[in-house]
Amino acid sequence: MGLAPKERAMTMDSGVEGISKGKAEVIRAGCSYDCGGLCPLIVHVKDGSVIRVEGAASEGTPYRACLRGRANRQRLYHPDRLKYPMRRVGERGEGKFERISWDEALDSVASELRRVKETYGNSAIVFFGLGGSHGTLHGLGAGIRLLNMFDGCIHLWGNVSNQGAIFGSFATYGSMLTGNTRDDLLNSHLIIMWGWNPADTIWDSGTSFTLAKAKEAGIKVICVDPRFTNSAAIFANQWIPIKPGTDTAMLIAMAYTIITEKLQDQEFLDNYTTGFEQYREYVMGVEDGVPKAPRWAEAITGVPAATIENLARQYATAKPAALIAGWGPGRADYGEQYHRAAMVLAAMTGNIGIHGGNTPGWEGAFPNYMTMGGLARGTRGLIGTGRKYRVPGYHIGSTTRIHCCEIWDAILKGKAGGYPTDLKLAYVMAANPLSSLPNTNRGVEALKKLEFIVVHEVFMSATARFADILLPANTFMEREDVSAAWLGAPYFVYSNKCVDSLYESKSDLEVCTELASRLGIEHYNDKTDEEWLREFLPGNIPDFDEFKRKGVHTVDLDEPFVAFKKQIEDPENNPFPTPSGKIEIYSKLLADMNHPEIPPVPKYIEGGESHNSPLAKKYPLQIISSHFRRRVHSQLDNVGWLKDAERHALWINSIDAQARGINDGDQVRVFNDRGGTIVPCWVTERIMPGVVHVPEGGPFDPDEDGIDTGGCANVLTATGYTPGGAFPGNTVLVQVQKL
Amino acid sequence: MQMGFYFDQTRCTGCFTCSVACKDWHDIPAGQTNWLRVMEIEKGKFPNVFVAYLVTGCWHCANPACVTACPVGAISKRQEDGVVVVDQEICLGKDNCDMCLQACSYEAPQFGTEQNAKMQKCNFCIDRLAEGKYPICVEACPMRALDAGPLDQLMSKYGQSRDAEGFVHSAELDPSVVFNPKLALAPYGGFL
Repeated sequence: MGLAPKERAMTMDSGVEGISKGKAEVIRAGCSYDCGGLCPLIVHVKDGSVIRVEGAASEGTPYRACLRGRANRQRLYHPDRLKYPMRRVGERGEGKFERISWDEALDSVASELRRVKETYGNSAIVFFGLGGSHGTLHGLGAGIRLLNMFDGCIHLWGNVSNQGAIFGSFATYGSMLTGNTRDDLLNSHLIIMWGWNPADTIWDSGTSFTLAKAKEAGIKVICVDPRFTNSAAIFANQWIPIKPGTDTAMLIAMAYTIITEKLQDQEFLDNYTTGFEQYREYVMGVEDGVPKAPRWAEAITGVPAATIENLARQYATAKPAALIAGWGPGRADYGEQYHRAAMVLAAMTGNIGIHGGNTPGWEGAFPNYMTMGGLARGTRGLIGTGRKYRVPGYHIGSTTRIHCCEIWDAILKGKAGGYPTDLKLAYVMAANPLSSLPNTNRGVEALKKLEFIVVHEVFMSATARFADILLPANTFMEREDVSAAWLGAPYFVYSNKCVDSLYESKSDLEVCTELASRLGIEHYNDKTDEEWLREFLPGNIPDFDEFKRKGVHTVDLDEPFVAFKKQIEDPENNPFPTPSGKIEIYSKLLADMNHPEIPPVPKYIEGGESHNSPLAKKYPLQIISSHFRRRVHSQLDNVGWLKDAERHALWINSIDAQARGINDGDQVRVFNDRGGTIVPCWVTERIMPGVVHVPEGGPFDPDEDGIDTGGCANVLTATGYTPGGAFPGNTVLVQVQKL
Repeated sequence: MQMGFYFDQTRCTGCFTCSVACKDWHDIPAGQTNWLRVMEIEKGKFPNVFVAYLVTGCWHCANPACVTACPVGAISKRQEDGVVVVDQEICLGKDNCDMCLQACSYEAPQFGTEQNAKMQKCNFCIDRLAEGKYPICVEACPMRALDAGPLDQLMSKYGQSRDAEGFVHSAELDPSVVFNPKLALAPYGGFL
């Protein structure tokens, strides 16, 4: 007999004792986090308990889970799991709750949904669903489907990760699917990792290993990044540090060098693109009298002109060459211009649609139905518009939508402040928006203003503390689901249920199914989980049962998949899905938007918080917040084994540290007008002077004065977005002070 | 026969997957006990920076100092494969003795936080070895930077380098490990 769940959790967490090892049943599962890997796992289960997590490599798959995958047992059995439904008893946000039954909790949520709908209409309901679960069946899709069938709600548009890349991809190529399978990097003569750090961010299982093999094969790898990241340190032959938010200027100056030295692939430009001439005029200064020469960019970027010229020459002549434009530099003021500038440079060098090249953009390679929130598909038609600047091709129907980076403002100001609605109720699922969305302190104010908040959570997250009704969610090992690798890797994962749901936790789908019946919604969930999962399978997985048994399906490819290969090899029959049928260096669609900050060709537009801004006198350091290898956003942060791996700390160069009397390990306050956070320092040469870095997703844990003590980066970031939708989270000025 | 490890320092991204996999497999609680440690080595000044990682477990030395240092004979070297193992029943515990830790050049002996914690350390996953499986760290490494097997076979496959950044080879102990080293050669890179 297995131990009762509570006892089991305690013994497992303490580690050494617990259930004796030995022969256990092995069950195929896979991570469900928002890191992109979705790596297959082999879970050892004995007497109803997970006793070990092994990688699937022992069975010959090439995908090896990272430390996060390996630490899943300590998340599953973490003593801080939410164990039963709760109702708020203290002030909102105070974190005081009392236990209630599921019936009480669900009745309460259903009655609040009804009340708000009847009193204010559906547009008073906002749904927060983020990347908390990448399963197709479980996670945010369950909530979207429920609220759609409840006649709709306000959805967020824009995502903090890569909205600039999405905007640029549609404007330039007419598609988000710009990625190649990773093995194609081995066909490159040069790889440029621009703000791209897959050693920590995974980007499909196997990406880092491919880069190591590329380097070992003698392929030159260059990294452009404010930090000497682990990817720079291990894969790159050269590191080019650059000031955050200035990448666009360097890319444009590279175009200047290429044009000046006549290194562009004119045949490619003539055959496959439109608008190069207009771009040339901007670059050469014909349009505005400012030639965008490397010397011009040097003053902006901090990168020597000769380095820029050298990189431009290498990229233009080392064909095929892969320029991979990571999303981090796009999370900046006018991040969409950075992505567009990288795209144009790839077109100028003819590195699109060929083996060994790369089409910088959103980088997804495999369209399929197994995707996060896939359950929401096939629901009734939706109404309204949301995107201010709609680019054809990207159309998720929705009721009115509000950009995620101004949702707190929208809640606080409502119609009186120019927003489309007055919000009253927040439904939060697979999301911790207080930590993940900008301007956390504004978020605190906003959440206090709402009439009702329901949160599905696994742990007492920052957002969960603000719930009126808090529902315990289960985790991927407690339910059945399928998922697809995020972007470029051709594999699919079947994650079998390993153990029963712990305590009183339920899946998001179970919760929403019970709510649907309370709300009188018919046909919300007429299928078993397995029937749903069978429906999601793409055609290239013929045998469901074999997929379930093996846990992973790898698509057999004769050669590496390359985006837009057809468009390049046979353009007559395969136009790009843009209005012109070509790669749009000049976009008439963007021109027609007639917005000064959405130029029809990519341009460098200086953001509000650069080193040049007057604010830099008060706040002289730029802060960036990148993904941390020992958690996924705010998920897994509380897992002890992962905490052992690396300290959550502020990276600061010795020059900046010395000027402030800071030694390695000192506690510091990082602050600007939006808030402050307390975090220990890591004094390192791995970051350029003038720039500091704190990994995103640190727990928001305010003290009595409202100063965060958990190192939550978003207390420092600003409300708002640039017109293409980019979240300017990496163009933020701060000061750092020793405590 | 002597089992040993191979570590490709040029591939290691310092991701700690080996270390976490080790803790999961052997049920080591989070905290100070680390059978497998990952050290970051940073050299140089911005922008000429060098970074490498060094993984250190127990190198199951040919002449293990811990075995001779242990006053009660709790540590032994297995005849069949040269794996160095500890018998916790015999170990005096850290409140009474830390001679093995004093003797080891690689901090392989580890202790928990409990009262009079007994010594524990990398045991080359002898349970997996018995089933013909690699140690869990080797199986886990996403970079395939680790390998394990008979030391002579590792040497013929990977060469005999006993050198790695951050590693000090002890001729006296003769640790059972070979490397593909990533050595810091100044200036380390940076612009152009």
